[in-house]
Amino acid sequence: MPEINWLAIFPELTLALGAAAVLLVEVQWKPRASTLGWLAGWIVLLAAVFTVFQWVWAGDQLAAESTGRLVTFSGMFLVDGMAVYGRLALLGILGLGLAGAHGLYEALGRRAAEAIAITLLAAAGFSIMLSSNNLVLTFLGLEVGSIALYVLAGLTRERKGSDEAALKYFLLGSFASAMFVYGAALLYAGTGQFEILAIRDHLAAVIVARPAVIFIGLGLMLVGLGFKVSAAPFHTWAPDVYQGAPAGIVGYMAAIAKIGGFITLARIFVTGVIEYHATWAPVMAAIAALSMLIGSVVALVQTDVRRMLAYSGIAHAGFAMTGIIGGEIEGVLFYVVAYAVQLIGGFAVITAVSGPEGSASDLSEYRGLWRRNPGLAAGFALLLFGMAGIPLTSGFIAKFGVFSDVWATQPWLVILGVLTSVVTLAFYLRITVIMYMEGEEGDPIPARASTRWVVWIAVGLTILWGVIPGTLLSFVADAFAL
Amino acid sequence: MLTALVLMPVVAALVVLAVPRKRHEIHLPLGVVLSLAPLGLAAYLFWQFEPVAGMQFVVDVPWYEPWGIGWRLGMDGISMPMVVLTALLVPIALGASTAITKRTREFVVLTLLLEAGMLGAFVATDLFLFFVFFEAMLIPMYFIIGVWGSDRRIYAAFKFFVYTFFGSALMLASIIAMAVIHSSQTGAASFALSDLANLDLTMGAERLLFAAFAIAFAVKVPIFPLHTWLPDAHTEAPTAGSVLLAGVLLKLGTYGLMRFNLTLFPQASVDAVWIMGALAVIGVIYGAVVAIVQPDLKRLVAYSSVSHLGFIVLGIFALTSASLQGAVIQNVNHGLTTGALFLLVGMIYDRRHTKAIAELGGLQKSGPMLAGFFLFMTFASIGLPGLNGFVGEFLVVIGSFPTLPSLAVLAAIGVILAAVYLLWAYQRVFHGIPEGENATFPDLTPREIALLAPLVALVLLIGLYPNILLDRIAPSTEAVLDQVQAVTDYEVPYPGRLVDVFIPGEG
Repeated sequence: MPEINWLAIFPELTLALGAAAVLLVEVQWKPRASTLGWLAGWIVLLAAVFTVFQWVWAGDQLAAESTGRLVTFSGMFLVDGMAVYGRLALLGILGLGLAGAHGLYEALGRRAAEAIAITLLAAAGFSIMLSSNNLVLTFLGLEVGSIALYVLAGLTRERKGSDEAALKYFLLGSFASAMFVYGAALLYAGTGQFEILAIRDHLAAVIVARPAVIFIGLGLMLVGLGFKVSAAPFHTWAPDVYQGAPAGIVGYMAAIAKIGGFITLARIFVTGVIEYHATWAPVMAAIAALSMLIGSVVALVQTDVRRMLAYSGIAHAGFAMTGIIGGEIEGVLFYVVAYAVQLIGGFAVITAVSGPEGSASDLSEYRGLWRRNPGLAAGFALLLFGMAGIPLTSGFIAKFGVFSDVWATQPWLVILGVLTSVVTLAFYLRITVIMYMEGEEGDPIPARASTRWVVWIAVGLTILWGVIPGTLLSFVADAFAL
Repeated sequence: MLTALVLMPVVAALVVLAVPRKRHEIHLPLGVVLSLAPLGLAAYLFWQFEPVAGMQFVVDVPWYEPWGIGWRLGMDGISMPMVVLTALLVPIALGASTAITKRTREFVVLTLLLEAGMLGAFVATDLFLFFVFFEAMLIPMYFIIGVWGSDRRIYAAFKFFVYTFFGSALMLASIIAMAVIHSSQTGAASFALSDLANLDLTMGAERLLFAAFAIAFAVKVPIFPLHTWLPDAHTEAPTAGSVLLAGVLLKLGTYGLMRFNLTLFPQASVDAVWIMGALAVIGVIYGAVVAIVQPDLKRLVAYSSVSHLGFIVLGIFALTSASLQGAVIQNVNHGLTTGALFLLVGMIYDRRHTKAIAELGGLQKSGPMLAGFFLFMTFASIGLPGLNGFVGEFLVVIGSFPTLPSLAVLAAIGVILAAVYLLWAYQRVFHGIPEGENATFPDLTPREIALLAPLVALVLLIGLYPNILLDRIAPSTEAVLDQVQAVTDYEVPYPGRLVDVFIPGEG
């Protein structure tokens, strides 16, 4: 009789059943898109309530034990601080994503239900991925999440750009997933274990005579996850997908892939194979350095805001990865959530300016935005400053955190990181120049209420976490006391 | 108290933000009135300030304890004059901004936020907090230059931001390094200046950290050869931007060198005396020579800043009592006189819409008041005895002589060159017979006189009775020297220390 604790998977279950419910409601009552959106919103809230409850309940359960984690489903699934934190972050982003995609759902008409259901499923997949203790289940979550994302990229398939983005994402993405699963298989071959905690214990107890197969396995898994978080040199899909996919959903897609990818990366590498830290850290450092360089330098020459954010996302993947390289978790967890919030807020602005379905977002569309919609311009500027890591925004605290984590082992990465931050600043500034200092003319750009909410929540969190970092940092720290 | 000082401008900015966008006539006057509140508080603090070493009005509230960052504020004789100067220049700069007619609300809000950043940076005694203020103030200044500047404003704003951000990026890495070293040595994380000053650094590490901090501040000062952003930024910025940039922002560089480089890395500072001193003197001479040939009046004043700031850096690294006091007081002086010169250039520009020296001439006939003020500030800037510039430059040169005699002599040439470029510019702009638009040049209005009058009064006050500042500065600069001597094998050569010359309080 396998040991099963249903409560542990309630949030994912809620999302999956919710997705089904959305589809059924559509079949039965054919409501408007926003009604379905509200339904999805309540589902998210319910899942969040379960997650919080789970945390409180798990905390009580674990008070007697000292492992700090609850392992259930015969070691497949675990609830620990990292999982709860990741789930809450995913659910928050999901809520913002649903609101930000409001315009897209309306434009999709009768297909809105599918889109909303897939949006929910994507989060469910990544949620499983980051709470999994078994590499097979991790792969399952990864695929559920990724396939949902491929579909989201192709939502407006009438447009060539969207079609192309979805196909490119799918082909490269499945290749990366295959790499991951091959890597997991090799890790199994080397250790005889699929469970991350068991791998950790095994490596701590046994001196592996021929670790090469483990190293290759780890390398392949790094490739697979590196693809998901768009780290160089596995980044080539990102600009095309960011540009081609419907604007309304890109921010969400990018944000949850980053959260899921980085937390899983931290779980496998920092929790699982910390024994081989000295081996994988230099490889990851090289990837991080390459990401920072390619992301920041190539972004400089972009003329499309979405491609620019894609390259900046590559640089951010490099920054966030520096946190893991130090063998620490706190910095990267803060980083990825702070960045995800900025990203989804930024794409909400893009949605308003370029339309929810639009594929191109040329820089010139932003000329004189301060006059055409002062609120959007101010919000976008603040989010961009947050991404640049200017103090008093969460981006600064985030960079500070990951750089502090890595300084002791790889100080050169910090130097490279701060210097590439200067380069990234240049293109963030370029957008503010265009918004505030050029173009006196232009028609007002209206923004729907849901977009405004997403932007202002993102801005609010960016500043809150920047001014009082304890509001999120102490939460991250608490999560590990669990 | 200091918390209130830093937060007051933020509150003022929020108040202005509450005024409707269209009410242009309200924004500026409201901004001026609100910015008088920090000035009042700064004056009160000046009054309450005890002329002893060490931080006063200390505030220490944890910010995020596990990281050891804190809201740590304090004021000593080095920062006190800068705080007063900042609080004084903001209302004046705002009052001089009547030429700004578009987006006035945003302009006032950004200027007030800039003030909060500047005040915060001067009173922060936590490295993390200092860095936050140091960087955060870039954004308002960037927008002030980029939105309200003249033709090449975008280029100038961009260059200003990226240059400074580059410098501070290295400083950020060093701050992280110091915090990591601190927690490995003591087991506790802290960013407090007083904790980090006691680090046990290897020579190599200390020199690297010194270099990173020095580059960050050298960009800000600016020290040759990192000065190229300055002429662009000053020239393109609106008058208020130039005044605050020259008056306060540059001083953050010299202030930072004194507060952080000397106290955190005394040994490296002593080792770098010749390098920093030589770069400073190159700046003095180079800035002056380039200023002579400038065809643009505002650019001329901008290059004169490069020259004058060189004096201050020389004073800091000459490491004697007189030179350090001279550096601090020259910080104030330069803010007063160059701030006033930028105001005057702005007033000329408002009337004539040109800054080209060749197009001006004979303004003394048509605008005698303006000419009078300009001449007065020119003399102050050159360092005529009886005015403030003399006190600062004299102290720096005489203080540098015991330690860096050759550099002191070379720097003195800069004083002569200053007379050349400023008086020559004065001659070309104000002498002669006015023609065309120059003949119908309107003289100063009462508002403009009211803006300049406090600066004139302070120039005279410091020139005639410098002890009002020196008495408050000296204990703190002496403490810096004491610390340098205690930690390193450096001995201030006779008669470099204050006690060599006279006994404090009786001299």
